Amino acid sequence: MLKIEHLAKHFGDLEALHDINFQVADGEIMGLIGQNGAGKSTTFHSILNFLKYEGTISWNDQDINESVFDQIGYLPEERSLMPKLTVEQQILYLAQLKGQPARKIKGGIDEWLQRFEVKGKRTDKIRALSKGNQQKIQLICTLIHRPSLIILDEPFSGLDPVNVDLLEQAILNAKAQGAAIIFSSHDMGNVEALCDELVMLRHGNMVLHGEIRAIREQFGKNEIFVTTDWSQEALLQLEHVIEAKQLSRHRFMLRVDDPAAGQPIFQELSGGHYIEEFSQQPPTLDEIFRLKAGDGHA
Amino acid sequence: MGMRKLWLVTVNTYLRQVKSWSFLILVLSPFVMIALSFGIGWISANSATNGDRIAVVSNQPALRSAYLKTLGKDGAAPAIKTVKAAKQAQRTEKIQGYVVLTQGKQLKAVYRGSQALSSSRKAKLTSFLTSVQNQQNVAQAKLTKQQVATLQQQPIVQQKVTSSLGQKKVAKMASFWILVFMVYMILTTYSSITAQEIASEKGTKIMEIIFSSTTAIKYFLGKIFGVLLMIVTQLVVYVIGGWASLTAGQHFSATRDLYTSYHALINQVVGNLFSINLVFLFVGVILYTVLAAFCGALVAKPEDSSKAGYPAVYLSMIAFFATFPFQSNADALFVRIMSYMPFFSSYFMPMRVINGTASTLQISLSMLILLATLLGMTWYIGRIYGGLMLQTDEGSFWKRLKRGLAN
Repeated sequence: MLKIEHLAKHFGDLEALHDINFQVADGEIMGLIGQNGAGKSTTFHSILNFLKYEGTISWNDQDINESVFDQIGYLPEERSLMPKLTVEQQILYLAQLKGQPARKIKGGIDEWLQRFEVKGKRTDKIRALSKGNQQKIQLICTLIHRPSLIILDEPFSGLDPVNVDLLEQAILNAKAQGAAIIFSSHDMGNVEALCDELVMLRHGNMVLHGEIRAIREQFGKNEIFVTTDWSQEALLQLEHVIEAKQLSRHRFMLRVDDPAAGQPIFQELSGGHYIEEFSQQPPTLDEIFRLKAGDGHA
Repeated sequence: MGMRKLWLVTVNTYLRQVKSWSFLILVLSPFVMIALSFGIGWISANSATNGDRIAVVSNQPALRSAYLKTLGKDGAAPAIKTVKAAKQAQRTEKIQGYVVLTQGKQLKAVYRGSQALSSSRKAKLTSFLTSVQNQQNVAQAKLTKQQVATLQQQPIVQQKVTSSLGQKKVAKMASFWILVFMVYMILTTYSSITAQEIASEKGTKIMEIIFSSTTAIKYFLGKIFGVLLMIVTQLVVYVIGGWASLTAGQHFSATRDLYTSYHALINQVVGNLFSINLVFLFVGVILYTVLAAFCGALVAKPEDSSKAGYPAVYLSMIAFFATFPFQSNADALFVRIMSYMPFFSSYFMPMRVINGTASTLQISLSMLILLATLLGMTWYIGRIYGGLMLQTDEGSFWKRLKRGLAN
C-alpha cells in the first residue's frame, strides 16, 4: 500500500503542495486530477524521492528508496527514450536497471510487443519509430518488470482511441495482478472508466478525495436528461429548472437548483404516461473538475 | 544488486561511446597521421631519386660496374650505357647527369649534368677513383707484398664519449612534451565528451525513469566509470600501437637505422612516461572528468551540451600553457606550488619528476592531495547530481545551481 501523510513541498516561497493525504491499496487505481500546475507531477516526484519534501511517504510501510525501486514502474509526463538504441536494447537496459535478468526479459519482449501492437519493431532504432510507437515502447518499459506500484503521469496524452484502449487494458491487467496504480489525467473519461478513487488538487491543495461515485453523489443529482416533445422555452418555464441545454432534436439536459424537483418535473413532463427517457443524475466528473479544479466556472 | 546497476550504467555509457565513429576516429587518427607522414615521406623520397640518378658511361665495363655499385640502386641508372642515351635521358629529366669514366695511366671522370654533383656524391666519386688509381699505381710499381701492406696502413680515429648528459637532456625534453601533450589532448577530449554526454540527458524524462530505478550517485559514478573505460581503451590502444610501431621500426629497412641511432633515447623517454607520471595523468584525467560531468549537469538544457565542457577545457588549457615557460626551469617556485594544486599538479608534478626535482615525499604528498580532492569532489557532486539533473529551470547559472542544490 502506498501511504501519503501530510505531504508538503515548497519551492522557495511557493507552496507547491499543502498537507496531502491519501492511500492507494494493492489492486486499486487512484486518479490524480487537477489543472496544469496543480501539483500532480510534484506529488509523483515526491513519491519517487526526486525531491526533498515534508511529511511521510511509504510503500508497504517502507520508505521509498533504492530498496523498493525495483517494485516501481514509472511513466513520466513527457516521453523520452534513448534514440540511438534499438527497441530491444532500450527495453533491456531499463528492465535490467529494474533488477530484471536479461535472459528473462529477452524471452518476453515479443509477447509485450505483440500486446501493444508493435510486433516486428524489436530491432528498429528508437529514433526510427513513430511518436505513437515510441509511447508504446515506453509503456512496455514501465510495465515489463511487473511492478507492484505503478505511477503514470498523463499516460493517455497524445494517444489515439485505439491505443487508449490498449493502455486501459494494460492498466486493468496490472490491477488484476494486484498492483497499486496511481495516474494523472486531464481526461475525466479515462479517470471515470478506470479509477476506484480520485484525488483532486488545486493550487497544491487537496480539494476532493474519495470514491468517484460518492464524490459525484455528494454534488447532488441536479441534472436531468430527458427526451420529450416540449420546446426549450417551455422547459425553461418549469419550476426549479435553471438551464435547459438541447443535446439533440428532442433530447435535453435540464439543470435544477434542487434535486428534489426531479419528481414534480417528471410528473409534469410525462403527464402520468410513458416517457422515452427521464434520467436524474449527479454532475459528471468533467463538470465537477471544471467546478472544483478551476475557478468555479463550469 | 546496487553494484550491478552501477556496472550496467558503466557498460552502457562505454559501449554507446566506443561504438561511435567519433571515438574510432579519435583513437585511430594519430596512427593514420603517422602512417600518412611516413607514406608521404617515402613517396617523395622515391620520386626524388628518379630524377636524381646518374648514368655511368665507360669503355671499361668492370670500372663502370664497380662505380655503379658505389652509387647504389637509388642513385644509379645502369640501363643507360652510352653518351647518346645519357644525353637523351638528361634532356627528358630522367637522370640528373652522367659520368664518363676513361682509364689510362691516369683515371679520368667527367661529369655532365643539369646540376652540380652533391658534395657527398663528389666525395664518393673522388674516393672511388682514388682507390682504383691506388690499385693501378701499386700494380704498375710492382711492389712486394710487404711494401703493399705498408702503403695500405690507415690512421685510426677513435671516439669515446664519457657522458650521455646531452642525450638525457633531450630525453627529458621529449618526455615532457609527449606527456604534456598527452595529458592536454586526453583532458580536453574527454572533458568535452563527458560534459556533452551528461548535458544531453539534462532535464530529459529518461533521467526520471533512471532515477526511479537507481540512485543518482550510482548513475553518476557509472557515467564516470564508463568514460574512464574509454580512456583506458584509448591508452591501451596507444601502448599497443606504440609497441607495434617500435617493433616494426626495428625491422623495416627504412627505419632500422633511425631506430638503432635513437634506441637509447627512446628507452629513456618510455621509462620517463611509464612511471608515477602515468598515475598523475590518470588521476588528473578522472578529476577533470568529474568536473566536466558537473559542468554538464549545470547546463540549462540539452541543446547547450556542446558548450557544457568549456569550463573544464579552459582550465585544462590554462594549466597546459602555464607549463610552457618552465620547461627548462622545473625547480622554479611557481612550478613547486603548482605541483601540489589539484587540476594543475597533473601537468606540473610529472614535469618535476622527469627533471628529478621532486622527492618521493613531495610526489606522495601531491598524489594524496590529488586523490583527496578527487574523492571529495566525486562524493559531493554525486550527492547533488540528482537535483541538478532533474531541474529544468532556464534562469541564470546561479539560480539553476541554487535550485538544483535545494531539490
